[in-house]
Amino acid sequence: MSVSPVIHHAPQPAEGERKDYVEPIICTKALKKIYRFGKVDVPALRGVDLVVQEGEFVAVVGPSGCGKSTLLHILGGLTGPTGGQVCVDGNDFRLMSDSDRTRFRRHKIGFVFQRFNLLPTLSARDNIAIAQHIQGNGFNPHRFETVTRMLGIEGKLNHRPFALSGGEQQRVAIARAVICEPKILLADEPTGNLDTENSQVVLDMLRELNRTFRQTILMITHNPEAAGVADRIIRMRDGRIISD
Amino acid sequence: MINKLIISNVLHRPVRTAVSVLAVAIEVAMVVLVVGLCHGMVNDSAHRVEGVGADILVRPPGSSFMMGMGEAPMPIKIGDRLRELPRVLAVAPTVVHVNAVQSLDLIYGIDLASFNAVSGGFVYHSGGPFQAPYDILVDDIYANAHHSKVGQTINLLNHDFRIAGIVEHGKAARRFIPLATLQDLMGAQDKATTFFIKCTDPAYTQQTTDAIKTLLPTYTILPMKEYMDLMTSNNLPLLNYFISVMIGLAVGIGFLVIFLSMYTTITERTREIGILKSLGASKTYIISVILREAVLLTAVGIIAGIIGSVIMRKLLIGIFPTLPVELNWDWRLYAAGLALIGSIVGSFYPALRAAQLDPVDALAYE
Repeated sequence: MSVSPVIHHAPQPAEGERKDYVEPIICTKALKKIYRFGKVDVPALRGVDLVVQEGEFVAVVGPSGCGKSTLLHILGGLTGPTGGQVCVDGNDFRLMSDSDRTRFRRHKIGFVFQRFNLLPTLSARDNIAIAQHIQGNGFNPHRFETVTRMLGIEGKLNHRPFALSGGEQQRVAIARAVICEPKILLADEPTGNLDTENSQVVLDMLRELNRTFRQTILMITHNPEAAGVADRIIRMRDGRIISD
Repeated sequence: MINKLIISNVLHRPVRTAVSVLAVAIEVAMVVLVVGLCHGMVNDSAHRVEGVGADILVRPPGSSFMMGMGEAPMPIKIGDRLRELPRVLAVAPTVVHVNAVQSLDLIYGIDLASFNAVSGGFVYHSGGPFQAPYDILVDDIYANAHHSKVGQTINLLNHDFRIAGIVEHGKAARRFIPLATLQDLMGAQDKATTFFIKCTDPAYTQQTTDAIKTLLPTYTILPMKEYMDLMTSNNLPLLNYFISVMIGLAVGIGFLVIFLSMYTTITERTREIGILKSLGASKTYIISVILREAVLLTAVGIIAGIIGSVIMRKLLIGIFPTLPVELNWDWRLYAAGLALIGSIVGSFYPALRAAQLDPVDALAYE
């Protein structure tokens, strides 16, 4: 059964600006996120303005605690902003409830994590297939074969995560993230737990996805070398973008 | 797909799965066996009274319909008046003693001739009728349980009784001694607890009952059908409460174990829940996964409990052959339904908690 996500339209540009205007796939204005720990407020994002066009491969770099992961989580709808505006694929997250963002994420967002985050009791095949099952559009064998062949994991599909190397697990995670053809792939330190060789393989895969399928990718990393594969590098510090 | 996830989760934690299944199995077996024992004892007693073959029972004024509850206050001469009534074929006076030494059973004191006239007589497996005041007849189930043989002695009411015969089970009691002997031992000379009455034709039961009620207006007069209708747990004081308490305990055990099992599960699998949420799984999806897992564990537990109750029954009867345990499908289904409801209710809170987990915190959980 195909389920359409809820559309909460972002503000549109003025009439005179429309001719040359290409709506970015990600747009944030003065984005803020404050975490409350007991009575203490900890600002993770202090006003982030970000624009990403469809098909771009953007790397966000910065030291630990600069707010990279928080930015990713907000863009993926895992948590809501405290202030400012965030629009993803034309949807204003300020107007969306948690269940709306969940539905949006199901259809539009793919995540890749540093710790792979595969379900340990399922095989690689089922780890990928469950993403399609959750989306509700059923198993697409053609898409499955295309993605697994591209990522070079056809021979590992019956293995469970504990029987796969780190690089293989991350490729399975990437397959799971892209199997449902998301608009945006959000990668949180995808090479953080990999050695140099496997890191390069994974980065090459992401590059290939971006070039072949024009997959929009936002990757956060603290490794400047990893960031080098991206089209654009954004630097963050203390909850703000300091260079783009 | 969701079923694959659930089955793989269940198999991935075999000890937790086994404990949860065992708890539900115990819950189901306990309900089925306790009810089976209670109903079995009641039904066994009722059927054995019915097995005497009488059409009407006469009991003392204000007495319970339950055999064994009450002394022997009726003058035995009442039997003579009952015999004079039209359409009465035979009247058998009996004295009933509740024996609680070494076991719990009823001892019937019978006048063999009149008892045979009402019941059609005993079928002897070995031996024969009473020959002496301190002879005893035992039924075959009692004899098998106690490895009794004709000629052996049984100590009863501080006297040694010689087993005169082993009879086919199904008439009133498992042990019978001469009426006069039991009357002497109980200090109830010329008294009776119950009169069993056989009509010339069962069709005359109601007319005869009416006639007896006219003759003995204050006495408890029960046609056998009415007696059988009364011999259910609903009519027995406190038995229903006992059954309800035991069922409540059993369901409570199942509920608590499933609650703790699922609560532990969601704690252990916090990160997995975060992963599902990052894939876009809704709260309903998460709740569905947890509840289905609980239902699966319960279903396996129900099957194990039903099988276990059959095995336990065989074991119980092997050890206590006189113990009647009746298992029936109505109560198996009822126990299964209770277990299912208990497990769904028990797993609902853990499921809700899982659904409400913050995905960012869940993904970061170690």
